[in-house]
Amino acid sequence: MTTQQFLTSAWTWNFAALVSSGVALVAYVWAFGVNRRIVYLLAGLTVFVFTLCSPLNALAAGYLFSAHMLQHIVLLLIVPALLLMSLPRWVSFGRRSLAISNPFIGWISGVGAMWLWHARPLCNAAVSSQFVNAAQICSLVLLGTVFWRQILAPREDERMSPPGAVLYLFSACVACSILGILITFSPVSVCPIYAQPLADRLGVLSLVQSNWGITPDKDQQIGGLLMWVPMCLVYLVAIIAQLARWFAHPVASVVASVHPQHVRSRSGMD
Amino acid sequence: MNGDTTVTGTVSHLLTPEERQHWKLSWLSTVDHKRIGVLYMVTGLVFFVFAGIEALLIRLQLMVPNNTLLGPDTYNWMFTMHGTTMIFLVAMPVLFGIMNYILPLQIGARDMAFPRLNALGVWLVPFGGILLHFSFLAGGPPMVGWFAYTPLSETPYSSQLGVDYWAVSLLVLGIGSVSAGINFIVTVLTQRAPGMTLRRLPLFSWMIFMNAFLVILALPILNAGLVMLLIDRLLGGRFFLPFGGGSAIMWQHIFWAFGHPEVYIVAIPAFAILSEVIPVFSRKPIFGHEFVAASTVVIVILSLLVWAHHMFTVGLGRAVDLFFVAASVLIAVPTGVKLFNWSATMVGGRVRFTTPMLFCVAALLQFLLGGLTGVSHALAPLDWQTKNSYYLVAHFHNVFVGLIVFAILGGIYYWFPKMSGRMMSERIGKWTFWLMTIGFNLTFMIQHVLGLAGMPRRTYTYPDLPGWGWMNMVSTIGALFMTAASILFVWDLVRSLLRGKPAGDNPWNAWTLEWATTSPPPHENFDALPPIRSRRPLWDYENPDRPDPVVPVGGALDTFRPGKNAAGMITFIISEAGFFGVLILAYLFYNATTQSGAGARELDVLKTTIFSICLFASSFTIWRSEVAERRNNHGKMKVWLVATILLGGIFIVGQGLEYWTLFQRGVTVGLDLFATTFFTLTGFHGLHVCVGLIALMIVLGVGFTRTFKKRHLPALGPVGLYWHFVDVVWLLVFSIVYLWPLIR
Repeated sequence: MTTQQFLTSAWTWNFAALVSSGVALVAYVWAFGVNRRIVYLLAGLTVFVFTLCSPLNALAAGYLFSAHMLQHIVLLLIVPALLLMSLPRWVSFGRRSLAISNPFIGWISGVGAMWLWHARPLCNAAVSSQFVNAAQICSLVLLGTVFWRQILAPREDERMSPPGAVLYLFSACVACSILGILITFSPVSVCPIYAQPLADRLGVLSLVQSNWGITPDKDQQIGGLLMWVPMCLVYLVAIIAQLARWFAHPVASVVASVHPQHVRSRSGMD
Repeated sequence: MNGDTTVTGTVSHLLTPEERQHWKLSWLSTVDHKRIGVLYMVTGLVFFVFAGIEALLIRLQLMVPNNTLLGPDTYNWMFTMHGTTMIFLVAMPVLFGIMNYILPLQIGARDMAFPRLNALGVWLVPFGGILLHFSFLAGGPPMVGWFAYTPLSETPYSSQLGVDYWAVSLLVLGIGSVSAGINFIVTVLTQRAPGMTLRRLPLFSWMIFMNAFLVILALPILNAGLVMLLIDRLLGGRFFLPFGGGSAIMWQHIFWAFGHPEVYIVAIPAFAILSEVIPVFSRKPIFGHEFVAASTVVIVILSLLVWAHHMFTVGLGRAVDLFFVAASVLIAVPTGVKLFNWSATMVGGRVRFTTPMLFCVAALLQFLLGGLTGVSHALAPLDWQTKNSYYLVAHFHNVFVGLIVFAILGGIYYWFPKMSGRMMSERIGKWTFWLMTIGFNLTFMIQHVLGLAGMPRRTYTYPDLPGWGWMNMVSTIGALFMTAASILFVWDLVRSLLRGKPAGDNPWNAWTLEWATTSPPPHENFDALPPIRSRRPLWDYENPDRPDPVVPVGGALDTFRPGKNAAGMITFIISEAGFFGVLILAYLFYNATTQSGAGARELDVLKTTIFSICLFASSFTIWRSEVAERRNNHGKMKVWLVATILLGGIFIVGQGLEYWTLFQRGVTVGLDLFATTFFTLTGFHGLHVCVGLIALMIVLGVGFTRTFKKRHLPALGPVGLYWHFVDVVWLLVFSIVYLWPLIR
């Protein structure tokens, strides 16, 4: 099998993903109507469906740990963030429920989802069992939502303040980097099921290992690096957004209210 | 403007009349941030003379091919000492000195948050420096380069004591730097003047604040590496010795995980000086304050992520290289943002090319080149070709000298009037500047070419290849120019201190708060502060009809002012977490496969579980003690405190018993990798428990004294935090060392 054949043939129709995306879209339109923010929803659902139906999913299902890791990052960080951003600004999560309003729980959800699913038995089970795999996907999206809720809640007053958010994101970046470093340099296999694939169902093992040159060792290294570097860059992008929020302030309006006669730009020559 | 500073012809006006009697003692025992700042700078200057002479000798040796001025061994220790001294004993102390002097003034504070900790930090610098140089008397200085790669720096290859002194000295300096970092963070958080919100911090203060986080995150990584190296060398450990099962590359990871942020630890203060000086001498507020401030945060975070680009030639594999090429190139973006902002600040301004401005503009241009060659090193294939050639030497000297030394000189010319009350000479300053700039560019520009022509660094001489001779000659002549500039600079310092023109409060018409007080500032810094509504309070004060736009208060965290003791303890705990993090990662790495570890079978899990429960219970008792203290129930507080000390003591005795049993069975640090990592990790935890016990006993003792009967014990809260931290670390260590082998 060549790479091109693989990329065209390895698409699967994951009905659960398609149906749940359809339901989400309908529910969104029913609840909020069609507005500008639906673009985020469409992007989120597209990424979601693509992650679970494309050849990436085929590779993640037993061939490549690194493909699994990419899927993991997308489901935990990208999809929930886009879903939260699609909500209109007036939607409130409420402050009563401790489970989703406490930053500590949000942090544990986001970081815990990363660490927990890479415990060896769980990581193996997520490949070998359809049921565990489905549970993993659901939990990643859910926990990712709980994590991002602190940053991307639709209402400004339900978000963390920017300096707090920077610490929240930075510490999450450090926590995931540590796991990434461990996986990258681990002399033992983190998820042995990828090191010894049980069955070459699609017949692409030789393609992956010989043509692409991704041996199990290298595969795990790439997986660890994905978690170490690009994942932190996702957090970094969020940090930059928080800094923009922190430094953005309505200068003109405030000046106008304090010194009505001196509304001017900031170029104070002497 | 020219105030009431009288010209007396001596430096005596720096001291109050009473202090004149005991001026030596008043400098030795000072806890004033301004004097400590000066002490930092003077110490740095002294070591600059040492390291500068070493640099000059290196250049003289390389002046002509096949030179025999220095032998290979002398040359090796010379460049080792030059690099180590310049970074740890010159760049860091001098920058810490400027920060120490200026930061509290700029935020309108009376002093640093912890003045005595500050004094400890400054005195650790000469102590560390003396330790490093003591190696000359104890069998020879280190000859392993400033990053002391293992296994070269291990006993079999460097059997003399030089490397031990190197490591101990850096450990001492590292502890001093962490203490300074904690102090800067807590000072900014707790000592700001009323109205000085976090968003109104001038750029210098903001960048020092961010930089301090980098200090407390990066230095502990080096400290952990150094103790591992010392355990290898002094106790026969096996961390970095390949034939003992250890990993030499591990040292490189640890060193560069510190080393790359370290570059930014000395570069960000330089950026901070540029961000202060360029606007003042362009007579414009900085262009895009928010972008400069935010890009600093991005640099701090990215710098912790990209260390592996120092290791492209190690052979980490194409996958690792690729990721780090991408991440490293990204750092150019926030740095570029800064360069654009500084340039844009000058555009359209009324630029005054006084000496401070000249140094800062030169720094900007030279850093542009250093930054661009830095990007070229981030590209792995190019790096493979130029690594360890003079191209690399030229690159990092463009950053360290071209940016940092120039920014320091600019900063000193800028703030010297504030520190001494006297102006430095513009005429001598311009001479210094041109000699320095010509010298610097002669020395290092040509080294790019030399490197591309293939000249390797760290080799004591070279054959007479075409072109190499004259290029090295040019480089050495440049070094002579720089020497002349340095001598001129020191002479100007002394001359201005004695006979400089009086400076007045605000000689440069600058806008930040350090210029709102006398020069030099009185002991308490300010009599009264102008109102602070923007980032340029002095501009607003002097131009009431056209002030800067008010920077509004942005939420609760903008005016955040935590308790100083708790803030200090939490920052300390963050840095300690970094230290333990490295030790734990090392343990996991070396014990990932089960075949290592004859000693692992000797552990008594049951006994340790019982002792661990005692330690975990002590977290509960200290919490009860704090609750009792808050309720003013001092009797109960003491009972719970005693219980905590007893439980902690039981744990330590238990650990001691376990060590004893292991020793009886022949399990010592040097036995195998398991033993090395086990004793290091549990030993350092035990050390922390002991420190906690001492702190608890001091708190208890204070609680028993009569004076505290009716008052609160402010120390109990922070000590309690520390104690909880020690317990959490043990929870991790216990799970990893004792429980993990049971389940896998």
